This record gives sequence, structure tokens and C-alpha cells, in this order.
Amino acid sequence: MHPQRKKRLHLILFLVLAVASAVGLAMYSLSQNINLFQTPTQIANGEVPPGRTIRAGGLVVEGSVERDQQGLGVTFRVTDGQSEVPVFYDGILPDLFREGQGIVALGEVNTEGLFVASEVLAKHDENYMPPEVQAALEQAHQDGKAQMEAAAKEASY
Amino acid sequence: MSLVRATVRRDLLLAARNPGEWANPLMFFLMVAALFPMAVDPNPEFLSKISGGVIWVAALLATLLSLDSLYRADVEDGSLEQWLASGESLYAMSLGKALVHWCISGLPLTLMSPLLGVMLHLPEDAYFALFISLAVGTPVLSLLGAVGAALTASLRSGGLLLTLLILPLYVPVLIFAASAVYHAGIGMAYNGQVAMLGAMLALALALTPFAAGAALKLNLSR
Amino acid sequence: MWQWLVRLYHRLGSPKWFYEMTERWIFWLALAAGGSAIVGLVLGLLYAPADYQQGDSFRIIYIHVPAALLAQSAYMMMAVAGAVYLIWRMKMAAWVAKVIAPVGAAFCLIALLTGAIWGKPTWGTWWVWDARLTSMLMLLFLYFGVMALQQAMESEEASYKAGAILALVGLVNIPIIKYSVEWWNTLHQPATLKLTEKPSMHPDMLWPLLIMIVSTYLFFALVVILRTRNEILWHERKRQWVRKILES
Repeated sequence: MHPQRKKRLHLILFLVLAVASAVGLAMYSLSQNINLFQTPTQIANGEVPPGRTIRAGGLVVEGSVERDQQGLGVTFRVTDGQSEVPVFYDGILPDLFREGQGIVALGEVNTEGLFVASEVLAKHDENYMPPEVQAALEQAHQDGKAQMEAAAKEASY
Repeated sequence: MSLVRATVRRDLLLAARNPGEWANPLMFFLMVAALFPMAVDPNPEFLSKISGGVIWVAALLATLLSLDSLYRADVEDGSLEQWLASGESLYAMSLGKALVHWCISGLPLTLMSPLLGVMLHLPEDAYFALFISLAVGTPVLSLLGAVGAALTASLRSGGLLLTLLILPLYVPVLIFAASAVYHAGIGMAYNGQVAMLGAMLALALALTPFAAGAALKLNLSR
Repeated sequence: MWQWLVRLYHRLGSPKWFYEMTERWIFWLALAAGGSAIVGLVLGLLYAPADYQQGDSFRIIYIHVPAALLAQSAYMMMAVAGAVYLIWRMKMAAWVAKVIAPVGAAFCLIALLTGAIWGKPTWGTWWVWDARLTSMLMLLFLYFGVMALQQAMESEEASYKAGAILALVGLVNIPIIKYSVEWWNTLHQPATLKLTEKPSMHPDMLWPLLIMIVSTYLFFALVVILRTRNEILWHERKRQWVRKILES
């Protein structure tokens, strides 16, 4: 082969190899956990050692928010659909904090498995709609559920 | 290829004869890392939390320190013209120069990192993560930095400008490396972060020499 | 089609043609940009309903999203113009790349500032070091880097080339910004507007946003054209046709 062409071939082979390994490594890396926050499942499985500062994120479980009688202390549970982790926070919560809302908390897990947060941030989703529409959607959702339940009841007879 | 090999050998020989070239950034690295316990908080528990990040920031600054002179001498003494005239591929040349830079900056830094780990009370589990993240991450710093060095080689006050150009590009490396060390320190898996650094290294190996080669040509059109 | 493109390319490469052509566009562009901004803002701030979660504070989206989108598009345009200059040595492309940089940086700054203002009431913090915010900050620094490099170069030609190379290297940051919200669990929410799916926004809120985006791009086009015309006048100041304009 012409030496010039041979050189070019080497270069191209090198480039293809490098780009392919970059893509492969990046794919592998993204399949691992390299996130801003850990999920409740990871915390519940003991993947996070106690006493170390991490961020935990998830949805606030409906009906789990309990405020202290005095002071600002608040306890609630955070879920990712699989596991739940109790969280304690003593401070001012953001306006968007409410049940069913996504949050990210900075803090540490203590030895009893309670996540003691030093900062709680509220996540909001990418959906925007007026309150009436949201209410209507909720209603439709519940109606749908009721219909399904009725249908299931009928079917079981 | 022989020209690249000769240049690499000459540069390594020059560095060996002139230890200040590689030893000064190392001293800088040590001193920056030593400033933190003195200035912030010598409490071991606190230090062990920040040590990974501090070591990485110090390594990054030390790398920048030695980058400025990477191509300067070659531009001034006319070697660059000779390279261009020789028809040798600038790709190979830039790759070779970046490699030399890593050998005299990133490699010693990596080898010295356990010492800094001791000084800053790095958690025991994090030593290997620190070592491997530096070994994979500092070549990326050299490769990216070589682009900046080539761009600013013929400027009189290139050093500060180089820092401004290159630091934003260093940020992803810093984030993943520091995150690897931190997660290793608290006993969590860090292979994802190291794999990401590896991906950056592969990509930088493939692409940055093109940019550096193109940038080198600019220094002739003065 | 191809021939038409080649002809357009040659015409765009001619400063005189560009200068005379854009003369007529400026008024209409300004009118369209201003008009759509007024319509978009009135619709967005007064007529769009409040959000079910965020109430009125979501309205900053009408500035934030257009500015953030534009900051990224402007960077890409700057890099592409730089590449055109590097490959075909088209001077007009270099001037366009040069004038885009400060405009893009300004929009990037606007996106970051409005994002901080939006973050305080909703997330509960001005700033958080998550992937989206950090990569946007890097974009701002890259703009600064390109500007500083161009300023530092002594010869004009070298300054264009150096800026173009740096802009092209920094292009890696764009996909990182775009996908940061999908690759990592960030605090920042994923994109509302997607190319392939239906936007997750109520139409009454969506229309003002789309109008604002169009308006911002028009404004950007206007500013870039005006700044490019200035560059043309300066660089061609010794030419006959420019002298004629200046004398009249």
C-alpha cells in the first residue's frame, strides 16, 4: 500500500477505535449511578453509608407529612415507588413543598435509617396547566378508576 | 513519524536536564493542598470530606501552570516552521506534545497523590479512586490544554488567557473525578464516574489533536 | 436547488450585497420582533392562566426559555460560521461569528439570571450545582473565552481562526446541556417543548411561549444583522461604495 494511504488508514482506524470506546464507556457509565441524588431504594438497601452527606430525591408520600407541635421541625416519607425513607427536616420548606411533590434533600442517614436533611429543595415537573384543568384531569382520573372498579366488580359476579 | 519521536525524546530529555520545569508545578501542587488545612480548618473529619476535591483542584491548577510553555519555545525558535515544512502530520505532533506534557505534569502528580492524601486525611477507601481518577483524568487535562496552549503560543500574555479558555473545558473532568473520589470515600461505587473519565479520555485522544494542529498553524500567520 | 444554494452562498459572501439586501429587512424585522414581543408578553403575563402548582411565578418562563434556547442556538451558529470561515475563508462568516459572541453571552446571562429568580420561589434556592445549571454556566464561560481570545490576537485573521477553533471545541458542551436533564437526576425539570412529542403545557400557556421564542429569534437576527452591517462598514471603509454611502 502507498505509505501515505497506509498512514491515513492507521489514523482512521485509531479514530474509529477511540470514538467507539468513548461511546462504549459513556454508555456503561450512564448505566451506573452517577446522579445528583440517590433514590430511596438505594438508601433502603443500605447502599448509602450512615453519617455521610448525600442528596436524596423522591416524591413526598401522601399523608405522611407531620409537623412538630413547636418549632419548624417536620417529618415525612419519600418514595420512588418501590421503597420509602423517612426524612426529618428542621427549617423553612420551599413554597412548592407539598404531598405528592418531588423533592431533593441534602443531608445524611443516621443509624436508625432516618434521613436528617439540612436542606430541602422542591422539584417541579415540566407540565404546566391551569388549576381548573388539573382538577378536571384529577376528576377524570378518579372517574376512570371508579369505572374500572365497577367493571371489575361486575366481572367478578 | 521519526520527527515526532525525535521531538518527544528531545522534550523529555530537556525536562530531565532541567528539573525545574516539572518540579515547580509539583511544588505548587503540594503547597496549594497544604494551604487548605492552614486556612480553612485542620480538623481531620472536615478535611477528609473535602480532600478529594481539594487535591483535584490543586492538580488542575498545577497542570495549567506548566501548559503555558508547551509550544512557546517551538514557536520562538522556529521548530514549528520546520514541522510544517516537513509535511509530518500535525495530528501526530500535537498528540506527541500532549503526551510529553502529561509525562512531566500529570504522571508525577498521580504518583505523588497518596502523599497528599495522607496530608489531607483522605478516607482510606478513596486512595485507589484518587489514583485511578488522576491517572485517567490528567491526560484529558493535558490533551485539552494543548489546544489552548497552541492557540495562545504566540501571544505575549498568553498565560492568563489560556486559563480563561481552558478552565471551562476542564470542569466536566473535575466534576466526575471529584465525584469518584467522594463516593469512594463514603464507601459507594464509583466505576460509573471512572468510566465517564475514560470516555472523555478516548474522545480527547481522538479529537483534540485536530484542533491543536489547526491552532498551531495560526502561529505562523503573524 | 444546488445551484441556487451555491449562488446564495456567493451572494452572502459579498459584503456589498448583504449590506444592500438587509437595508430593506431591518424595518420589517424590527417591527416583527417588537410586535411579537408585545403580543407574547401581554398574552403571557396577563391572559395565560396561572399554573396549578407554581401560580404566577411560572410566568418567568416567557423570558427564561427563549433566552436559554437562543443562547445555545447562537453558540451553534457561531461555531458553524467559524467553521465556514475556517474551511472556505469566507470573511462574512468570520464577521458574523464575531458579532454573535457578545449577543449570545448576553442571552446566556439572561437565562441564568431569570433561572435563579425562578428557582428561589419554586425550588427554594437561587442556585444549585446540578448538571443543567453547571453546563449552562460553562456555556457562558465559553462565550467569554471566545471573546477574550479574539481580543488578544494581534492579527485579525488569526483572531477569527482562533475564535472559530475554540468555538468548535466548545461545541461538546451543547449536547451536554441538552441531555443533562435526561442523563442525570437533576433538580431542573426536563424539557417542556420537544420536537417529537406533544408539549406538556396547556395551549393557553403554550402559545405565548411560542410567540416569545419566535420574537427572541427575530430580535437576535435583527441585532446580528445590525452588528454585521457595522463590521462591513468598518472593514470596507476604503471601498468606493461605502464612501458613497458615508458621504451622502
